[in-house]
Amino acid sequence: MAVSSSAQIRVVAQDPSVRVDGRILTALVSVPVEDAREGPTGHRVQVIDYDATTRTMYARARPLDPADPSDENIMGDPAFHARNVYGLVMATLARFEYALGRRVAWGFPGHQLKVVPHAFAVANAFYSPDSEALLFGYFDRGERTIFTCLSHDVVVHETTHALLHGLRGRFLRASSADQAAFHEAFADVVALLSVFSMREVVQRLIDHYAGRGSRASRKGAVSASALQPDRLKRSALFALAEEMVPERDPGGIGALRRSVDLEPDQNLLNRLEFRDSHRRGEVLVAAVCHAFLEVWVRRLQALGTDMVDRERAAEEGAGIAEQLLTMAIRGLDYTPPVDLLFGDFLSAALTADTEVRPNDERYHLRETLLSSCAAYGILPASGTPDGCWRRSDKQLRRTGVRFGSVQSDPTEMFRLIWANHRWLRLPVTAYSWVSDVRPCLRIEPEDGLPVRETVATCIQHVKITAAELGDYGLHPPPGMHPDTDIVLEGGSTLVLDEYGLLKFEISNRLPKRTDENACKRAQARLDYLFESGTYAAGSAFRGRLAAVHRLRSTQTASSRSEVW
Amino acid sequence: MTRPAPIRVRIFVYNVGFGDCILLCFDYDQGRSRTVLVDFGSTQKAQSGAPPSMNDVAREIGEQCGGKLDVVIATHRHADHISGFAGSSGAVISGLQPEVVVQPWTEEPGLAVDATDSAASSPRAGNRKFTARLDRLHAAAAQVLHQIPRLAATPGVTASLTNELRFLGETNIKNAEAVKALQAMGDRHEYASFGSDLGLADVLPGVGVEVLGPPTLAQSPEIAAMAASDADEFWHLAATADAVPGQPSVRDLFPGARTARRVPQEARWLVPRIDKMQAEELLSLVRILDDVMNNTSLILLFTIGETLLLFPGDAQLENWSYALQRAPNSADICARLSQTRVYKVGHHGSLNSTPRTMLWGGFARAGQVDPAERLITLLSTRAGKHGSESRGTEVPRGRLVEELEARSELVNTQDCRAASGWWREVVVPL
Repeated sequence: MAVSSSAQIRVVAQDPSVRVDGRILTALVSVPVEDAREGPTGHRVQVIDYDATTRTMYARARPLDPADPSDENIMGDPAFHARNVYGLVMATLARFEYALGRRVAWGFPGHQLKVVPHAFAVANAFYSPDSEALLFGYFDRGERTIFTCLSHDVVVHETTHALLHGLRGRFLRASSADQAAFHEAFADVVALLSVFSMREVVQRLIDHYAGRGSRASRKGAVSASALQPDRLKRSALFALAEEMVPERDPGGIGALRRSVDLEPDQNLLNRLEFRDSHRRGEVLVAAVCHAFLEVWVRRLQALGTDMVDRERAAEEGAGIAEQLLTMAIRGLDYTPPVDLLFGDFLSAALTADTEVRPNDERYHLRETLLSSCAAYGILPASGTPDGCWRRSDKQLRRTGVRFGSVQSDPTEMFRLIWANHRWLRLPVTAYSWVSDVRPCLRIEPEDGLPVRETVATCIQHVKITAAELGDYGLHPPPGMHPDTDIVLEGGSTLVLDEYGLLKFEISNRLPKRTDENACKRAQARLDYLFESGTYAAGSAFRGRLAAVHRLRSTQTASSRSEVW
Repeated sequence: MTRPAPIRVRIFVYNVGFGDCILLCFDYDQGRSRTVLVDFGSTQKAQSGAPPSMNDVAREIGEQCGGKLDVVIATHRHADHISGFAGSSGAVISGLQPEVVVQPWTEEPGLAVDATDSAASSPRAGNRKFTARLDRLHAAAAQVLHQIPRLAATPGVTASLTNELRFLGETNIKNAEAVKALQAMGDRHEYASFGSDLGLADVLPGVGVEVLGPPTLAQSPEIAAMAASDADEFWHLAATADAVPGQPSVRDLFPGARTARRVPQEARWLVPRIDKMQAEELLSLVRILDDVMNNTSLILLFTIGETLLLFPGDAQLENWSYALQRAPNSADICARLSQTRVYKVGHHGSLNSTPRTMLWGGFARAGQVDPAERLITLLSTRAGKHGSESRGTEVPRGRLVEELEARSELVNTQDCRAASGWWREVVVPL
């Protein structure tokens, strides 16, 4: 008898405010089978249900219970909440591992992420790297209690922060306005597109929102006119954290974020209000959402001009979201390891997708994403017409390097890099280390053939004072003291093929007097860091994610040169 | 007929601990004076000796103003600026029969009436929403205060953390009694914003009073950003405010749910961290609230002939930046401010309330040696109550105090002791 490799857990589909036929919408999600214990506790997730406000430790919950709970149980049973977060975290982890073709580690030494579904009576939820934990708060609104742990979007969003930290640890550091925004944007993209993986949920939401007030001539079909972009945009499908908003629009869906409402504008990122990381992140989210919507509507139009089968509509949505989400996650492997700009991510995602899925005839997804991003002022960093990184034409010297080891051993990989530092233009005087080496196995969707790659990241830094910036072609921002300690960073991602040949070298190098582009980029980073207070005493980024969630637009850009 | 002009200004700066209380006496010929009280609040009494009560200070003010106040200015709603207007000390001030009470536009009573006027889009409707939101923020502070006793008893939550929470919570509560007392005081109320005409020409002959802040929502995108009409902008704070102060914040979340009798072994490392993070979350919320309120602060420039006295309350950069950078006449304002003679140091000497290059860097009298020309600075503060040196946020900020001492005639309320008197008198000849 075949043994299933996945189990199913019932979760709240979006959050308790999204109801169909008067009931909270739930869904089954698949999680990898494991020897899960009470908590639930498994090999990657440990739910610890402690409430700091009431000083209560709830009993450990049984790991699996796919029964359809009543609304009362959903709201009033902490064990359901514990299973809800376990299920969503594990499903998100599995999604990442599928896309990347390998196991994904958390960004801390342990293997189990702690998840606290009722951490405190504070209206916030965040990933704490120091505590190796996701913490979900709750708060009262009138007679109701809002549990952030019951929001699909919030749980997936926070889980993505933890996964991204494991994949690209340095993206949590201050570097540029784009990088500060990227964590938020990427987490939003994953949360939004993940909803589409629950097809029955999408079907019911299409019925509920797009079908509302429209003509439905036969069971299972909705009017094509109801599936127009504007109506779909207004649905819960494109809203994040619906329940967090106290005042809803009378006729629509309130939400913490509705990035899809952001109209395309090539100058958006230059505007002052879009320097705030959440607002800036919304621009990238809007570009991805619009690309998705454009492709989906195109597919729906092909299904008919009068009535559209809702199952088919949901299936098309799921298929497109699946590809787009996989492209986004896979793209992480093709990003430079430091100082990310949105344009880097765009090129990375397009390249990653092209490598595994060369034929894009069905959806024209890459072309649509490229044009959608351009409409929001996000241009591929590669500068190529298709937006993909240029393939490397370098033949690495491999004398003395063992190919078997280079796929997984950082020391062996560093030997390869050292032997080729001239080719790779990596200065040997900088402190350098290989931060990650991962063999990956990805499956080409059309022919099912494996694509094997090795992805390695090498990071370099030099520590200097502001007075020495001139040696690197940089100058201190006005007001910076010459004794200020500065760390200049550079980094390269090397993607090797199954024979160990270099396919891509994606670098943001250390600045060098003779490299105008690197200097320009490093100077922008330095100015941004100074302006945002990174060089102020005591500034720390460990608590940044919690603060970012809290401070949406409540803070404005303050000028470093004006404070004491 | 030429209006009389003051012949000198006497400024009384009172040591009220962590707070502001300054009396301006404009003296005219023949022994006549006109008086202005700028703020009257405290959250932490002065250190050592026998610090005065607010009643003592009120009586002192009564004597020094000759039993009559002409103008009362409440720069913003923080307790350390208005708490004294409540209770018996407030009654003493009220008894001095001030004619005009000046407050920022956010305090206009009618504005806060309609908190949910979401359909209207007029500037006034936007202002109403903003003030309604401020009310919710005050409620959040009250809720945070309510939780402090429990936090103080929680292992892992340090005393310094709860002290800072208490301090900021107390500063940011609504101060309803003081607000009410201010509304009942005076014959006329002015709710001012950048560019307002306060109509004080008859009350303070020969003294120009220019309002440089706060800007209105229409004037300043920064302030407007803080008051953005989307309900989500302050959802963390608003949610905290929704819990009703006075009701037990600790309740049975899941009645009848199974609980563990003791913390299981696997959770022992994490539990104290969760306790600490909860307190840190609350502290972050009240810090945001504190900044928002500071930016509603009045910035007033008194002009007597060529002598300029600058009183910015607790205004921070976002408030300042309109007058100094974006207002149509900002270049003219900067040029005139360069000649400031007396500067009341903003926000008790915090790191971001005296714009370093835009304002301080432009003061031509800073660094002057001649006492008749040298900039006079007034710092009303108490160290060790706000911020921390390790984060570079201590109040007063060390670097700023060094600069004030080196380049101006600094009057620091911390130097006012029982032995030497709890106030300082600064005389500015005109």
